[in-house]
Amino acid sequence: MLRITGGKVYDPANGIDGEVRDLFVSEGKFVASAEEGRTIDATGMIVFPGGVDVHTHVAGGAINFARAMTPEDHRRTQAFIRSQSRRSGIGGMAPTTFATGYLYAGMGWTTVNEAAVPVLSARHTHEELSDIPIVDKSTLTLMANNEIMLDLMEKGEYERAKNVVAWYIWAAKSYGVKAVNPGGVAAWKWGKDAKQLTSPIEGFTRLTPGDIISQLARICHELGLPHPLHLHCNNLGAPGNISTTLDTLNHLDGHRAHIAHSQYHAYGGDDWDEMRSETAQLAEYFNTHPNVTTDAGAVLFGDTVTITADGPWQHLLYKLTGRKWGNLDVENETGCGIVPYTYRPSNLVNAIQWSVGLELLLLIKNPWQVFLSTDHPNGGCFWRYPEIIQLLMCADFRTECLKKLPDKIKERITLPELTREYTLYEIATSMSAGPARALGLHHKGNLGLGCDADIVIYEEDKDVARMFGHPRYVIKGGEVVIEEGDIRATPDGHEYISRPHYAPDTDEFLRPLFEDCYTMQFENYPVEMERIEKPAIHDCVPNS
Amino acid sequence: MYWGGNPAECHPRHFTKYALMPKSKFLPRGRKDRTAVLVDIRPTKSAKAADIFLQVRPGKDFELITILRALIKDQKVSEEAVAETGITLEQCTDLIERMKKAKFGCVFFGMGLSMTRGKHMNSAALLTLAAEMNAFTKFVAMPMRGHGNVTGADVIMRWQTGYPFGITFNRGYPRYNPGEFSTVDVLVRGDADAAFIIGADPGATMPQPAIDHLARIPTIVLDPHVTHTSNLAKVHITTAPAGIAAPGTAYRMDEIPLPLKPALKSPYPTDEEVVRRIKQAIVKKPFWMPEGAQMTAAQV
Repeated sequence: MLRITGGKVYDPANGIDGEVRDLFVSEGKFVASAEEGRTIDATGMIVFPGGVDVHTHVAGGAINFARAMTPEDHRRTQAFIRSQSRRSGIGGMAPTTFATGYLYAGMGWTTVNEAAVPVLSARHTHEELSDIPIVDKSTLTLMANNEIMLDLMEKGEYERAKNVVAWYIWAAKSYGVKAVNPGGVAAWKWGKDAKQLTSPIEGFTRLTPGDIISQLARICHELGLPHPLHLHCNNLGAPGNISTTLDTLNHLDGHRAHIAHSQYHAYGGDDWDEMRSETAQLAEYFNTHPNVTTDAGAVLFGDTVTITADGPWQHLLYKLTGRKWGNLDVENETGCGIVPYTYRPSNLVNAIQWSVGLELLLLIKNPWQVFLSTDHPNGGCFWRYPEIIQLLMCADFRTECLKKLPDKIKERITLPELTREYTLYEIATSMSAGPARALGLHHKGNLGLGCDADIVIYEEDKDVARMFGHPRYVIKGGEVVIEEGDIRATPDGHEYISRPHYAPDTDEFLRPLFEDCYTMQFENYPVEMERIEKPAIHDCVPNS
Repeated sequence: MYWGGNPAECHPRHFTKYALMPKSKFLPRGRKDRTAVLVDIRPTKSAKAADIFLQVRPGKDFELITILRALIKDQKVSEEAVAETGITLEQCTDLIERMKKAKFGCVFFGMGLSMTRGKHMNSAALLTLAAEMNAFTKFVAMPMRGHGNVTGADVIMRWQTGYPFGITFNRGYPRYNPGEFSTVDVLVRGDADAAFIIGADPGATMPQPAIDHLARIPTIVLDPHVTHTSNLAKVHITTAPAGIAAPGTAYRMDEIPLPLKPALKSPYPTDEEVVRRIKQAIVKKPFWMPEGAQMTAAQV
């Protein structure tokens, strides 16, 4: 049992905005009172629910390929020296698994959603996740370029497609559906891309990216998945892609969706020289459509490594940078590209990207709709989130940063006009309560009775980045894991898994198709439940 | 394209299950819909399976790859430079044309490329060729690995330490330097004061000075068989063979993990069980740092 007394509590899920309250914890949950156990005197301190990352890449074939590609970064970055309480590792652009858990927990994040997992390498991803300590985890299955799925959609077999999606989610032991550049990654197998939502995809006669988006959004709703379709739009990173993004949103037909890293999808202009921010248009859409949420995918200047299933985009980035390029083809399902990248304030495109991420966070009025993310590691590493919090809370600091950008940028961005400053309540919403609700994890990001006791306690500090970078205490499931700047305990986190309903004949339907186009045995494909450490299964209730 | 590899004898299922024979949606006639090229220094058994065999002169792989890279960009190459590789200019231009016409090109390279003169430079050149081919059509390249589950070891080392092999923990965190921290280097220098060997037989394959050192220090071997290394080790523990009598996971060369389902029962413990029990025994010993001490980066 644990008591936290006298802290100023920010709990947006229950509308509590900086009230001094006591919290009581028993058996990992919040309870109404606790008589025994340790008392943490949080007088003068700030109490938040533990952070929830709605979109990150921390485990699996792609990030592990990125680790292999960047030994030069491991050498210069933070080393984690083995001690009695923790294992060794490497921080940096693509941290190793143990270090990932320590770094997330070290800044008060206690739940992470690995946003892109092919079913074929799901077994690998779960093995890696079980080596990420402290935080709770979930995964999303890549679905929008799977040839079996696309064939069904092309033939108009919607009901069958729905069953197949449900089957894949359960086979991968994942939590929801991710769509990356719908149709574009399949087209990349031919060295092509899918840039128009209404044009047929390479290798198909009728099927368009727009069809895939509409059907997947509907499937996610009807299966009753806790998290709606998690969508990486077509035309990522390209100047003028705002029209594609808005078009994509219109294809949702009113269904809920989460738009991933919208910073990369809010550009105007016809080419790189003309590129400009179009955040006003995109923010307006979110401000009038409460059924959609997004995460910022904000960019921070410095070195990183970009990894995405968006293979054609990564080929373009390789051609632009001339640096290393990794490309993975995942048989029938998807692909992936990996390119190390440096965002520079002197580079006009990078400066616009930096501004666009912040503009979206500031222009979308409701913090329950826009969440803190860098699309780790694409826009910057997750352990730099406190820098973004500082940028959101301090307009003066933004003005200082803007001075370092090229003069030409002024007509292309709107950031200098934005005076909004996030309050602590809004930060708590955007980093914890909001993403937890979007993920359908109602017992997370919530300090109410019965919820998981994931708590972060900060010492109030004028230096916002320092305050959020170095919490005084982090409590995970009622256990103090970080105290006085040190890791005290490294419990294993849970893994959240959805069990959607599918027709019992789906196995027999898939078997011959599978034997036609996969290189492994059908029986070996689904991940066995015994391989998941501490699974927490959500049984889905279908919607009609 | 296979380059410096002999799958017919080394990866016998590669043709039939993976790269040449399988029928698919876009290649309904299987082998007939594919063109296979083999580049090697001698006509191995794999040459029979290839439509085109190019016999490169030993040690000239890097030169040949560089010539191909020049030719795909329509750069001029000298006749003499081409002649040195053992391949004619006509063969090169024919190959380039076929590569560009392919809908999806795939290069598999073996130790004939990566472990001969030039080593990682050869691999880098070939990977660059594949990357540059993407200006014309889809092209990928992949190494042909050996030794059972070497890919699995590589994958796990990467997620736990950031590096695939050649790692030292002697400062309390992982550092990487092939040629300095690779097993063979550590043994030859005599740096190791104990060796723990699982599923490998360095006593049969490593240079004599490394083997001599293994015999000098306490060497522990976990293996289903009594190996050359077992004979010079202080301790040999017989374990159940993975995939036959022990469950687990093996990573395929393309990093796809496959579950191992044991068909037989073994009276011997699995590797995992032995390692876990040794670990439990070590935990009971005093920790290598004093109680409460913290090592900082400055101290190391």
